[in-house]
Amino acid sequence: MASELIVNGHTYEVRAPVGASLAHVLREELGLTGTKIACNEGHCGACTVQIDGVPALSCITLAHAVRGEVTTIEGLRDHPLVDAFVKADAVQCGFCTPGQVVSAAALVAANPEPTSEEIRHHMAGNICRCGTYPRIEEAILHWRG
Amino acid sequence: MARLIRTEKEVEGRFEEVWLVVEEDALDQWPVGPLTTVGRDAERKDAPERVRGEVRYTADITLPGMLHGAILRSPHAHARVAKIDLSRALSAPGVHAAIGPGDAHGLEEEAGWLGAPVAAVAADTAAQARAALELVDVEWEELEIVLDPEAAVERELFTAEPTRYERGDFDRALAEADVVVEGTYRTSVVLHNSMETHQSVCEWVGDTLNVYISTQYVWGVRDEIATELGIPRDKVRVVCEYMGGGFGSKNDAGEYTFAGAELAKRTGRPVKCALTRREENTAAGNRNATIQKLKVGARGDGTIVALGGEFVNAVGWTGWSAMTEGPMQMLYACENVRTVRYGAQINTPPMKAFRAPGFVEGTFGLECLIDELAAKLDVDPLELRRKNYADSNDGKPFSSKNLMECYALAQAQWDRRHDVRARSTDTWKHGVGMASQIWFGGGGPPSYAWIRVGSDGRAQVVTAMQDIGTGSRTAMAQIAAEELGFPLDRVEVSLGDTSRGPFASISAGSSTIPSMGPAVRAAAADAKRQLIEIAAQRYHLEERVLDIVDGNVVSADGNLSTPVEKLVEVLEDAQILGKGARGPNPTGMSVLTFGIHVVEVAVDIETGEIVVDRVYAAHDVGRIVNTLGARSQVEGGIIQGIGHTLSEVRLHDPASGRILTTTLDAYRMPTIADVPEIVCEFVDQPDEHLTNLGSKGLGEPPIVPIAAAIANAIRDATGADVHELPISREEMLRALEAAKKKEKRGAPAAV
Amino acid sequence: MELLRPSNVDQLDEGVYIHGGTEVVPLLRDGILSGERLVDIRGLVPRGVRDATIGAGTTLAELEVDPQIPAALREACRLAASPQLRNMGSIGGNLLQATRCWYWRLKYPCRLHGGDTCFAREGEHREHAIVANDFCASAHPSDVAAALLALDARVRTSQRELPLAELYHVPDEADRNVTRLAAGEVILELELPPVEASVYLKAMDRKKWSFPQVGVAAARAGGETRIALAGVAPVPWLLESADALASGDEWATPLPRTEWKVPVARALVRRAVAALG
Repeated sequence: MASELIVNGHTYEVRAPVGASLAHVLREELGLTGTKIACNEGHCGACTVQIDGVPALSCITLAHAVRGEVTTIEGLRDHPLVDAFVKADAVQCGFCTPGQVVSAAALVAANPEPTSEEIRHHMAGNICRCGTYPRIEEAILHWRG
Repeated sequence: MARLIRTEKEVEGRFEEVWLVVEEDALDQWPVGPLTTVGRDAERKDAPERVRGEVRYTADITLPGMLHGAILRSPHAHARVAKIDLSRALSAPGVHAAIGPGDAHGLEEEAGWLGAPVAAVAADTAAQARAALELVDVEWEELEIVLDPEAAVERELFTAEPTRYERGDFDRALAEADVVVEGTYRTSVVLHNSMETHQSVCEWVGDTLNVYISTQYVWGVRDEIATELGIPRDKVRVVCEYMGGGFGSKNDAGEYTFAGAELAKRTGRPVKCALTRREENTAAGNRNATIQKLKVGARGDGTIVALGGEFVNAVGWTGWSAMTEGPMQMLYACENVRTVRYGAQINTPPMKAFRAPGFVEGTFGLECLIDELAAKLDVDPLELRRKNYADSNDGKPFSSKNLMECYALAQAQWDRRHDVRARSTDTWKHGVGMASQIWFGGGGPPSYAWIRVGSDGRAQVVTAMQDIGTGSRTAMAQIAAEELGFPLDRVEVSLGDTSRGPFASISAGSSTIPSMGPAVRAAAADAKRQLIEIAAQRYHLEERVLDIVDGNVVSADGNLSTPVEKLVEVLEDAQILGKGARGPNPTGMSVLTFGIHVVEVAVDIETGEIVVDRVYAAHDVGRIVNTLGARSQVEGGIIQGIGHTLSEVRLHDPASGRILTTTLDAYRMPTIADVPEIVCEFVDQPDEHLTNLGSKGLGEPPIVPIAAAIANAIRDATGADVHELPISREEMLRALEAAKKKEKRGAPAAV
Repeated sequence: MELLRPSNVDQLDEGVYIHGGTEVVPLLRDGILSGERLVDIRGLVPRGVRDATIGAGTTLAELEVDPQIPAALREACRLAASPQLRNMGSIGGNLLQATRCWYWRLKYPCRLHGGDTCFAREGEHREHAIVANDFCASAHPSDVAAALLALDARVRTSQRELPLAELYHVPDEADRNVTRLAAGEVILELELPPVEASVYLKAMDRKKWSFPQVGVAAARAGGETRIALAGVAPVPWLLESADALASGDEWATPLPRTEWKVPVARALVRRAVAALG
């Protein structure tokens, strides 16, 4: 089966089997390895991408069922949040971090001045085992520098 | 000069006597307090590329022609392979090789736990490899299983002989004590759950094996593989530039690597073998459960006269028995201590080191017991801890100990308890609790670093260590920059490859900074000495009047101030090479880390909900290198510890021994919403006896006291003695019910 | 495997229906669901809220912020799953989600899978049911279903209209299904009768991203209070009356390690009723 997939503004043709996940296609077919797979069943948020600006779990999204434009961390590399994460030390091992940034970018796009409570509500699906959460909260609170 | 010594080496609380060649540590320590670069906030050098998802983890490595391996695991908790037939699997679509018991280290005929590795397959895709596993035909001979650690102890099923310790006369002291408190404390199995699962890519190039692996110890993996495969160690190259967390679980090569190496050999192609999350939560190690039967005897004035404990570590089928009794032996000045520790061999997955193994569990038991003693004596828990302060460890002096300063820092936090308690309502009870921290973290030799300075005036630290996410690259760069007199952005760090750079320490046991930092500083000092020698010749000045400050060569009289790159431009392709080694630890001294946590909680006494509102942490780990990274490390340890304390538990089926909580909806780690206010301070006093740096490690200390501090805050809030981790609603409601009954019987309620 | 994308109900073939995919994709991967035909039903399931009618394709994320939606349902959506799952998951799919029982998810041959043993009853069951748990001790995980049950919602499917309560079925020897949805039947819309007040309270073991240990929804309409519970029975559980729990704990038949859920449920029910005013 072949479908069209728009990722970070580029159009690709996906020829993977019907059961292939978006995360798999992004990483293995398109070489966009910034999207991480940590649980591969929708529980941890490491694979978060935006579909039409809305955070979704690419590891349980079927690539052929995507309707809308996909934005991955590679499409957000110049986002001010990157600098905010660096300044706040919101990264340890870094494996969950791209997913954190993708979720956070959707949050600040919808709500440029989120409160701590709003950050905690919208970021609760991105697990960080190193425990960078306080730094992530700080980074998002001050994302505009 | 190199010196051959016989010394005691400690990693994760395990000691061994070893021969070591050490080099003199000739440098004086830097002055106390923040310096130019060291002792200050530094952004992580690799943060931008990590945040942008640009760095390459093992999970991101794809080599040309690479196959994917998968491991067949035992469906029984104890069984022997009577017959195995790989032929159907071998002919499955995409499959290139299949191996069984004995074909690779770690694949065994006898499976002692459900999930033990038995066979492996390599195929074009991971999905094909997994599908082929279903086609491996195994005839199992099932054997008896033992899952209850206490039953194992009764039957003397041990992973090692019981460990007994006694000083003084415990029985007599306990009999003579005015007050005795005893309790049984239990901790559950918890899982590391590094975000990147255990995995490696094995590739043979000629007779050399290249191994890309998510590991905390590239050298350990190299030596383990070379030994098992019977090949020279320099024929194994191990690479780990970036890795997605380890927490103690990634110290060895693992069956997936041995299987991958064999499959790669048979197919002539690289093989990646990555554990799934569910395998990770079964087969990649755990913090084992413990049962601790503890006793404390004290005089009426609060002097602790007797401490005793029987500790059962539910080790699993293999693994080692961590020093759960350590805090009881080391934290307080008590003359009469008796402990025994059993390592129960049961048919559950093997434990692996997990962030301060043994001490996390033992501190929960001991520090709850001490608080229960304080309640019974009606004395202030902080005063009780001060009164029983230890000035030596079983007769050995401490290389440095500033726990009393931590207590002093914490006093103001502890004084908040009256205000906190006053917030209580009919259903929500507020309280404050504390617990002390003791743990190792001194590191040790050997460890080496090189530094090269090129004609561009930039320095590169080269050493085959690894950065497991703690910020080692940054800390090493800070140390080198400080010693060289270079700005931080002129120093890079190259690490993570056994074929590029000298031997470096394991990143476990809070040892990276204390082991590697002094070697890096020594290398920087060597390079700087050479720079000064060149400057002296070039500018016709005496070496003793020259220095390098902020990247400039300067003379004492101020007449010379020129950028280092101007000095070294004449070098062209020549390089200045500095080398440094980690010196020995002080002989006859105990090198330990200390701290205290003060925690504020709220408990809903009707529903058993527990909310951690605030955590204050003060730690004494010698000199702090990166104050920003250190705070992150403390926060991370506390948050992981809150998970262990409140929501994380690995459960198994009591009939089969199968792990039930392998997915992350069932195994619940804290989310950002569970994080309390965290305030942390450091004593930041260099250990004057420890290396040219005076730094100890900080990776583990912050997770040690948090569970007990939470439990003690719960007692302060509610009067209930919780005795089990995690403190689920079930345990919380049980403890509240027990407290109610105790009150009814007329026993004094806790403070 | 093939993927179909019908745009109206008439084109609907039988197969595995998928909307947000948050439940179906993992279950397909685990082999708990199987089939050669995958049917993406997003083209035919209404999405959005119109007066008291909720399109079954509306996501939980859309509902949690919609002021037209009664408080109990809004809160149930807000406290459900994780932000990404709420972005992806539809309310219709949420009603049909399966239990989190680890034995069921690990494909033990349990009664729900057609076997003759409830492994949880004898085994590890600390998160399981405290009522109607004799045959199968699984707990229903849907916060949203409990809220809709308290709100007395009606369901319109591709074949009929029915009260939500009738969508569910406590599994028994004769019928192991948890819902009464027929093959080829799709939930299209939910209808909410007016309520004066409603509330949803939830006990979790972390503050967010947790299935309900106990969830309690309460709604008052026309002087009558309806209370429904999540996480306590194999199906969303409607209490007979608001004070069904006041008289004692006879209503529950907890297993040894689920006894703790009984006082939690009692406290949350009392609080929910009080919150209705």
